[in-house]
Amino acid sequence: MKRGSHDCQSRLPDNTALKQQQLPAYRLQLTATKILSGFFITGVFCLGAGVILLLSAKNIKEVEINYTEKCSDCAKLRENTANFDKECTCSIPFYLPEAMKGDVYMFYKLYGFYQNLYQYVLSRSNSQLMGIDIKDVSNCAPFKNSHNGIPIAPCGAIANSIFNDTIVLSYNLNSSMSIKVPMLRSGISWWTDKYVKFWNPGSQNLSSAFAGTAKPPSWPKPVYELDEEDPENNGFINEDFIVWMRTAAFPTFKKLYRRLSRIQHFTEGLPAGSYSFGITYNFPVTKFQGEKSVVLSTLTWSGGSSLFLGLAYTVTGALTWLAFFAMMAIHLRLKERKTLFHQE
Amino acid sequence: MKPQSLLESDPIDDYLTTKPRIPFKIPEEVPSGNYGLVINGYSLAHALEGNLELELLQTACMCKGVICCRMTPLQKAQVVELVKRYKKVVTLAIGDGANDVSMIKAAHIGVGISGQEGMQAMLNSDFAFSQFCYLQRLLLVHGRWSYNRMCKFLSYFFYKNFAFTLVHFWYAFYSGFSAQDVNETWSLRFPELYEPGQHNLYFNKKEFVKCLVHGIYSSLVLFFIPMGTIHNSVRTDGKEISDYQSFSTIVQTSLLCVVTMQIALETTYWTMISHIFTWGSLGFYFCILFFLYSDGLCLMFPNVFQLLGVARNTLDWPQVWLSVVLSMVLCMLPVIGYHFLKPLFWPVRVDKVIDRIHHCMSHPLPPRIRTRLKHAGSRRSAYAFSHKQGFGALITSGKTLKAKFPKKNSFPFKK
Repeated sequence: MKRGSHDCQSRLPDNTALKQQQLPAYRLQLTATKILSGFFITGVFCLGAGVILLLSAKNIKEVEINYTEKCSDCAKLRENTANFDKECTCSIPFYLPEAMKGDVYMFYKLYGFYQNLYQYVLSRSNSQLMGIDIKDVSNCAPFKNSHNGIPIAPCGAIANSIFNDTIVLSYNLNSSMSIKVPMLRSGISWWTDKYVKFWNPGSQNLSSAFAGTAKPPSWPKPVYELDEEDPENNGFINEDFIVWMRTAAFPTFKKLYRRLSRIQHFTEGLPAGSYSFGITYNFPVTKFQGEKSVVLSTLTWSGGSSLFLGLAYTVTGALTWLAFFAMMAIHLRLKERKTLFHQE
Repeated sequence: MKPQSLLESDPIDDYLTTKPRIPFKIPEEVPSGNYGLVINGYSLAHALEGNLELELLQTACMCKGVICCRMTPLQKAQVVELVKRYKKVVTLAIGDGANDVSMIKAAHIGVGISGQEGMQAMLNSDFAFSQFCYLQRLLLVHGRWSYNRMCKFLSYFFYKNFAFTLVHFWYAFYSGFSAQDVNETWSLRFPELYEPGQHNLYFNKKEFVKCLVHGIYSSLVLFFIPMGTIHNSVRTDGKEISDYQSFSTIVQTSLLCVVTMQIALETTYWTMISHIFTWGSLGFYFCILFFLYSDGLCLMFPNVFQLLGVARNTLDWPQVWLSVVLSMVLCMLPVIGYHFLKPLFWPVRVDKVIDRIHHCMSHPLPPRIRTRLKHAGSRRSAYAFSHKQGFGALITSGKTLKAKFPKKNSFPFKK
């Protein structure tokens, strides 16, 4: 039985490296030396990074004042929602023993406020906030329309629950005179949020641009009156509003409120001395057992004053070194035993 | 037949009398000497009847080798099916003629030899090649690799899915020496390396539980490390980093880096293709990430693509990358440590064989005397039988055998 030679060859796979599975390959072999040296180097790196992070976190100065209880009469007033139009102010003095050098940031911090609740996170309308379609309230249940059926701008539960306390920091120059510390309202939100994601609709005149919409039920003023002094900070592009709309991941969170403006007495930061916070208490937290506080803090390259990353790296580095020494000991002991065994 | 088989307590007798519903498997037995069984088709016709087939199987399994000759194609298939039904094994049938087709189809794995007998065996088989001797390579090299790779894939698949899904689960509480492998030459020389496949060692319930545990541990690391990093934190310029969208991006990036490292660890042979797909898929993730979070797409569909600018704002801060690196270290080091320590403390037969291989490699033996291998190359095998005149001369002329060694074989073998 003869077969034509071309018949045989056509069935053969090509003699290329790919088809014959003969591609040049590097064989990954984890030998003992590689593993042990890897563990050692990782341990060194983690310990070093941990120490650096801890040192930089220690340099941060932070002052936190929880004012839920300190302004207890205001808190009680706000528990009854009928008192919404009664203003309540509260003044909290405190003392800075050391100067806070460099840039100082003021945050408000909330405890027990679940901005990460699923229905809450969904309740917003990005097309409205981008200025594309101001009447699109489709995702904003339960704050879609006002009681007259007019669409709310900005709609949704996130916008409705905006943090509306006003916090003013004052510095006591001497026993009789106190000045307001100059703070900047701008530059507290992400650039992409302020200039791309949030955009005011239509024309220059904001009140006419927002015609045909209603303010959210919990707001005292409509959105185009958020900052009448600065048109760049009014309407949807108001930075406090943008910062609030970026929902936090955990029930305890702090959001940037103001930045120190380094002019006049404060070119080097906040000098030591006595200060006070003047708070207009509007945001009710006691009903859901939440708390709020104000935080003044300097920052370093690694962010806020959280010691977690530094500690985690140090602990990991220590454990890795421990594992390295243990594995090295085991490896050497067993190697001795093996060479003895082979010699026999 | 052994004397005990006449007793009522013998399991086979018990089966024959009661015929229970559950499938019956013959227990393993070790014979006291070396036996072989030769049976021809005519006798097989009687031996495969009714109750005698179990006796035949039991006897045959106690022999070192069994030769059944002069069988009809149907009998070949019946023998294979007999073994399949009553023994817990994987069967392989190899044949080259049209009369072997039923046997090839009956076995778990059918291997066809393409050659003088035609194409039928090849067309009906799972694997086909041209020489019987390639069977050794098929089993010990390709079969072993295939099993190892399948098990690695399954473990990795389940681990990756557990790691990812469980991260969601943890969030809800808050709103939420490798097996040192060997190359082909060694796997042919040490057939014991094939055993884990036979005993189903690399992916069974125990391995599944192991990768479940690994997935749970990874998910804990992948959730709590980013959470701790951003919990009370802000960026260096004071702006937000602890928001929901940034958190999810950081967790996602950590997860992808960790599982890529895991698969890099599992890959034994790194060809250009492995490099392209492994690192390429990680790079592709970042491309897709930036695309999905880009201005253009989010402006076009604002209510669908909501994460505008998150990647740009999150992924260029040192604390985020430090957290990713820490997650990678915490996930990978225990795995590497386990691969290092396991062959030392709980060596399996495979590890012991690998030890022997390493020992051989560091103390090479003098080259073996070649005469025995030469004989194997020039021995005429007895597999060919002719049912038609004219083939004998062709076979004995040696033209059908491939030259095994580049040096010319100067042993003319005369029948």
